[in-house]
Amino acid sequence: MESQLQGGPVEAGRASVMAEPDALLRAVARGDEAAFARLYDLVAGRVFGLVKRVLRDPAQAEEVTQEVLVEVWRTATRYDPARGSATSWIFTIAHRRAVDRVRSEQASADRTQRLAAESATTPFDHVVEAATARVEQQQVRRCLKTLTELQREALTLAYYGGYTYREVAQLLGAALPTVKTRMRDGLIRLRDCLGVSVG
Amino acid sequence: MNEAHTLAGAYALNAVDDIERARFRRHLDQCETCALEVAELTETAARMADLTWDEPPPGMKDAVLARIAQTAQARPGRPERAGRARAAGASGWRRWTMTAVAASVLAAAVGGTVYAVQEQRIEREQDRLAQVEAIINAPDASVRSEPIGDTGTVTVIGSRQRDEAVVMLDGLPEPGADRAYELWLGVGDELTSAGVLAADVGDGTAVITGYGEADAIGVSREPAGGSPTGAPTEVVALIAVD
Repeated sequence: MESQLQGGPVEAGRASVMAEPDALLRAVARGDEAAFARLYDLVAGRVFGLVKRVLRDPAQAEEVTQEVLVEVWRTATRYDPARGSATSWIFTIAHRRAVDRVRSEQASADRTQRLAAESATTPFDHVVEAATARVEQQQVRRCLKTLTELQREALTLAYYGGYTYREVAQLLGAALPTVKTRMRDGLIRLRDCLGVSVG
Repeated sequence: MNEAHTLAGAYALNAVDDIERARFRRHLDQCETCALEVAELTETAARMADLTWDEPPPGMKDAVLARIAQTAQARPGRPERAGRARAAGASGWRRWTMTAVAASVLAAAVGGTVYAVQEQRIEREQDRLAQVEAIINAPDASVRSEPIGDTGTVTVIGSRQRDEAVVMLDGLPEPGADRAYELWLGVGDELTSAGVLAADVGDGTAVITGYGEADAIGVSREPAGGSPTGAPTEVVALIAVD
């Protein structure tokens, strides 16, 4: 996936940080605990941060993060590099777990109410605050800014808020088909901006 | 692009409910280009995690390393349905839940409340138990459990390979005089009866067939003997299955 990114010295750095988790995860699949410890250092901050962002509860976030990381160890044998990067595979597990937890523990009405009390753009503001100067973060931030307001809100509410597209439609006061379309359009634009490809 | 595929973005963002997810995966099974697009969109969505970095709690690394040292790894290449790129997230959860749930389902079955329905009328108690056990122990068995009302739970343990599922109703409100719970198999938008439990009871374990293609298992409250119309009268649960 690195090959389609913009060129320059930054590129080589990004290629190596991206490739390392893939190699480590394959070693983990062979039972290499040292590789797992190294992989932990590379991804645990984002797994914890993502889970905490969705759950908004540090204690629960730690519990779920541990479950996710043990799951990564347990199912590393089934990671297929042809289907995407190791980090994507790990964050997808983390997101699914966090969302399952938040949806099972809270009635959706409560959550909708809670979020309605906040600005719909809050998650994105938090994103900007939390971001450090790392290359990938800058790139994701820059690319999110190329989206339309509605695309960006739909993506951030869904991903960082853990909301379904139906809830997002309600929160944004938009029609369901519009929200579905914006989520797909927005991700396609983000994909093209980031130069993501798979396989 | 067909209508189902407009959900690709919401699916990649995990912004769908369980039923929509199951249906969309079936759509992916039949569309290779869709599967590639969804893989790319999922990869893209995961990049959004780059912005969430937070300092992990102290001690978490040691705790995780201690846990993995005692955790066996899954066998590689467990067959999953074609085109399903992202099922791994749920599988550990499922397996973990399985142990706890299987014990309670077996306990209920031992209690004699197994109602084998549809074509699977089984006379002898030990055969019923053997059937329940075979489904629970199937290599591809997966479990779903949902609360109903304040005290009830519906649990589905299904095996697509065996085309069978065990459905356990536990602690549901009594359906009312001359009324009964009926089970339904959901495939796409169609619900087909999968059998009726005994009248006036809110507990029971049933073995149903036709699970291989199911997107969801439904439970409805009906007049004793089952829905008079062939469609559910009052749906009390609709549980999506992977």
